Amino acid sequence: MTAHFQNFDEFLAAVDRDGAVGETRARAEATMSRRGLFGLTFAGAGATLLARAPVAAAAGLPAPDLDILNYALVLEYLQASFYTEAERSGALHGRTAEAARVVGATERAHVKAFLHLLGSKAVKRPTFNFQGTTEQQRPFLKTAVAFEDLAVAAYKGQAPKLRSNAVLAAAVGIHSVEARHAAWMRQLFGITPAVNAFDRPSSRASINRIVTSTRFIVAKPRMKARTKPEFTG
Amino acid sequence: MSLKTRLAAAAAAAAIAGLLAAGLGASHRNVLPSDQLAALPASPGPALQVGKAVGLPAGRYLSRWTVVRRPTLAHAAPAASSAVVARLAASTPEGTRNLLPVLRVVSSDTAALWVKVRLPVLPSGSVGWVPRRALGPYETVNTRLVVDRGDLQATLYRLGKIVFAAPVGVGTDAWPTPAGEFSVRSKLTRYASPFYGPLAFGTTARSDVLTDWPGGGFVGIHGTNEPQLLPGRISHGCVRLRNRDLLRLAALMPIGTPMTIR
Repeated sequence: MTAHFQNFDEFLAAVDRDGAVGETRARAEATMSRRGLFGLTFAGAGATLLARAPVAAAAGLPAPDLDILNYALVLEYLQASFYTEAERSGALHGRTAEAARVVGATERAHVKAFLHLLGSKAVKRPTFNFQGTTEQQRPFLKTAVAFEDLAVAAYKGQAPKLRSNAVLAAAVGIHSVEARHAAWMRQLFGITPAVNAFDRPSSRASINRIVTSTRFIVAKPRMKARTKPEFTG
Repeated sequence: MSLKTRLAAAAAAAAIAGLLAAGLGASHRNVLPSDQLAALPASPGPALQVGKAVGLPAGRYLSRWTVVRRPTLAHAAPAASSAVVARLAASTPEGTRNLLPVLRVVSSDTAALWVKVRLPVLPSGSVGWVPRRALGPYETVNTRLVVDRGDLQATLYRLGKIVFAAPVGVGTDAWPTPAGEFSVRSKLTRYASPFYGPLAFGTTARSDVLTDWPGGGFVGIHGTNEPQLLPGRISHGCVRLRNRDLLRLAALMPIGTPMTIR
């Protein structure tokens, strides 16, 4: 599978079922705007706010790059959550269990790095329902291959759009790691790890179909309500 | 390796070294002279500082829960042909999703997945098997609430360490707070009722006595407008806290926290 996400909005529309990711993104953008206003109008207060904000690392990056970083973060959330759930389920065995442990630790390191860079501009983690694919060996491997191939294609698709060379350097570094993960999972699943001389891009429609067909990103369950209790008292 | 072989290998190595010195080396120097190398721009450092791989912490204090995605039946065994032990709705009487603590999963590559869950039904402690496809996402928590009816105290643990303790009111002898293993399953706010205090947690515990209570006789954790009665055995089964203690607890206790009443 080779594919490109054309932009973050398109990806978001496909996967953000309850709007949680979009909400966080809007909030982050609003915060950025307020900071700008404070910086112009109340230099002292603005400086204090910026000093406290955990976004210093991302502050100088071009806005389109931040958008792409958040898009990549959602994919990293997806992968990290998938491997974490698989490891905790204890259902995998042998070399597959070992691969899940190693790759999961790497994906969590990616998430940690993205969160550190993006600070309060980072979209929040969506809710995932992997529907049992983390609890059975073959479905796990099949899904892992799809996720890793998707991540490789996504990084490859976004790299030419990045404006900052520093972000590009980071993206290339992660892209090659994802490609190794893809090869590892492919081998465990019993398919040729590397057969193509070149990965061709897929259409926009194809990508949307892939993402929406998983149904892994779901609405966060409603566990809070504004209603008077009827407990026994 | 024989002497003849070693001599042949040495001769080959000498020939390669000679070739490199005479031709390839010079050619290489011509392609990338040192002044051109120095003129190349330095590569930028990566914007992301990816650290070491992040291993999972020990799962000793972790508990897993899920919700009912669509109304389903809980069975006595992980098979559709086994006896039905409960009917599970997707929502609670309060309108929140019906939470189920996950105890175990039976997996196989050929059969459907079944999940063993603790059931919010009487008698307390009931368990059952539910098809995985009827359940929602898994969530994990690292907290545990213990309500001690003898000491009249609630204690919250995080990763095995006490992070909260406060006196409580529990059920009278006529309407006792049920003992057992339960979960905190909902959080209710913004209602106007001094009796229940500023907010209330719903739990999977049910009164053994008040079975016809509106909403099914579920036990809640809530505040009070009579703080002078705490600690004491003064409720219909619910766990009452002083309002300030309840607000402190609410800041620390996530939905899904397992609750032991002893």
